[in-house]
Amino acid sequence: MNKFLPSTSIRLALGYAGLFIVSSLILVGFLWWRTADYLDREINAVIVADTRAIADRMRDFGLSGAIDTIDERISRAADRHTVYLLTDPRLSPIAGNLDAWPADVSRSAGWYRVDLVHDNKLYATRFLNVQLPGDFHLLVGRDVQDRAVVRALILQGLVWAGLIAVVLAVLGGALVRRSVLRRVEAINRTARAIVQGDLSQRLPARNSTDEFDQLVQTINAMLGQIQLLIEGIRNTSNAVAHDLRTPLTELRSRLEGMLRGATLPEAATDDLHEAVADIDRLIGIFNALLRLAELDSGIRRAGFRRVELADLVDEVADVYGPSAEEKGIALNVDVDDRASVTGDPFLLAQAVGNLVDNAVKYTQSRGTISLALTRWGDRHVAVTVTDTGPGIPEGERARAVERFYRGDASRRTPGVGLGLSVVEAVARLHGGALELADNHPGLIASLIVPKGEDRQEPGDVRAGESVAARIEK
Amino acid sequence: MVRSGRQPPSRSRDCMKILLVEDNEQVSQFVRKGLQESGHTVDHAGNGRDGLFLASSETYDAIVLDRMLPGGIDGLGIIEALRKTGNATPILILSALAEVDDRIRGLRAGGDDYLTKPFAFGELAARLDALLRRSQGTETQTVLSVGDLRMDLLGRKVTRSGNPVALQPREFKLLEYLMRHAEQVVTRTMLIENVWDYHFDPQTNVIDVHVSRLRQKIDGGFDRPLLHTVRGIGYRLGANE
Repeated sequence: MNKFLPSTSIRLALGYAGLFIVSSLILVGFLWWRTADYLDREINAVIVADTRAIADRMRDFGLSGAIDTIDERISRAADRHTVYLLTDPRLSPIAGNLDAWPADVSRSAGWYRVDLVHDNKLYATRFLNVQLPGDFHLLVGRDVQDRAVVRALILQGLVWAGLIAVVLAVLGGALVRRSVLRRVEAINRTARAIVQGDLSQRLPARNSTDEFDQLVQTINAMLGQIQLLIEGIRNTSNAVAHDLRTPLTELRSRLEGMLRGATLPEAATDDLHEAVADIDRLIGIFNALLRLAELDSGIRRAGFRRVELADLVDEVADVYGPSAEEKGIALNVDVDDRASVTGDPFLLAQAVGNLVDNAVKYTQSRGTISLALTRWGDRHVAVTVTDTGPGIPEGERARAVERFYRGDASRRTPGVGLGLSVVEAVARLHGGALELADNHPGLIASLIVPKGEDRQEPGDVRAGESVAARIEK
Repeated sequence: MVRSGRQPPSRSRDCMKILLVEDNEQVSQFVRKGLQESGHTVDHAGNGRDGLFLASSETYDAIVLDRMLPGGIDGLGIIEALRKTGNATPILILSALAEVDDRIRGLRAGGDDYLTKPFAFGELAARLDALLRRSQGTETQTVLSVGDLRMDLLGRKVTRSGNPVALQPREFKLLEYLMRHAEQVVTRTMLIENVWDYHFDPQTNVIDVHVSRLRQKIDGGFDRPLLHTVRGIGYRLGANE
């Protein structure tokens, strides 16, 4: 599990951070807009008040009243923040601290924004142009340079606030992710234990009504149901095992008793031997089915331990070597890796044995069987049995592991068609897979299981995850 | 551990006293008849309680014990109760539970061997015979011999009539097992269980091939064969025809 790949928790954290940042930006933008607007309106109000005061003086005391007021205001203001200009109808200055009517301001009344140059400095100035009675023009302006500085300061503050918001968003996102991950991890751990066959495990619940807890409670209820069903199946198969074995045992002992008892005609003896062989075959099928049921339930994982696959492969080769040789088949063993896995030695031996048994059965004289133990990607090992027999056509391979399936090539050979099913079930129990491929001609059958070096604890096998996803070639 | 009141070994082949604890009528009759025909004395108990009573009050050479029994105590319970009191009578468990786990549990409880139902009488007899002989102990011997066949366990050498016989390691192990069970019938499953480390159930006659190769090596060129096939059951290594 790569924690850096986009996972639900990361998406959740990113979503949280994104939402936080966007809402912070909207808030900051709104603040900025309101502040700027407020500053503009304040300046406007001051200009309007000034203009009105001068106009009032002019109305009450005539032109000289206006000039006095302007002069008084100019002398009172030490800086150049406020600009006044009173002109006659031809726009010639009468009073004020501006030498000439600015070129950018027209005769019509209204608001203007003009950059004035004074002492080689540029001053952004906002003007209100009004027409006084007698066609006099009054221009009142205010330098907004300071305001721009204030605005810049505010903007800077807002940018900082935005950055802090981003940091908070990331931290918050990480926190959200961690709390979600912790709960998901708890569910994962328990689920893994369950997959390994410990059906008594339950997810930790907090007895609250939050969505996670509701999910946990639903899953726990489901687990209870599954446990009941599995136990039911196990009890049933044990009962079936016992109930069917009893009459079979009786039947077999009856027939064997007859064989060992009175002298019978030879034909009857042969028939009885055949009947006993039939029963033995029936028992074989029956045992294989019970074993498959047990493998599917995952109960056997409880008995997993360290298994040296190299020894196991040598052993199986040793068992089948003479049979292959007798048929004129070369059996080559190639173990290039001492790989230990965590598993059930008897089941693994049975699985490899089944593969070699098939190979010996279907390979013709002068054919070759190779039995190899190799690495399979970084985390798996494969026991591969390659033969030069008829192989399995591509279209039939998927069905070859089905229970009781028998391909055309196997119709004339003894067997019931459970061998590969058992191999596949053993592979699945160990968190691996059975892969069938073409040897042109012949079959390549690979039993793939996860390596066990890094896992010392018995039973700690990550099975149950999607095998296809985990087996990298 | 000392078994009280054991018969002297000289009697062991001919007449053994065996306790059969089995609730199934048909199977009991079959086993009882077979054992009696082989010359053994058989006591029978049809439930766990009677079985435990007989096993602890009488002295037997071996007990054949069904695992699932009526009568309040099952096969494993009987074994545990007997072993706790120091009773070391060899016990062969009969069971309908076929899986390796069940087998291991049975042996761990103190059983000496485990046979899954349904079984061939020959298999039962062979295993019982092996159990009875086990207590005579060939474990400490360093040289085994059957007729003119000799096996030196320390030097890992085998000779027949003084001529060396070259064996592969597995063939050596196979022959060792057969020689330790000389004159007894040994079944294919007994060989698989005792000669190879990873027991599994080979689907074809692979064991027969191993035995016939061994036979070629030890009997090839000799008039009197030592390794005999017992039809439908297994093999016997012995000087007697």
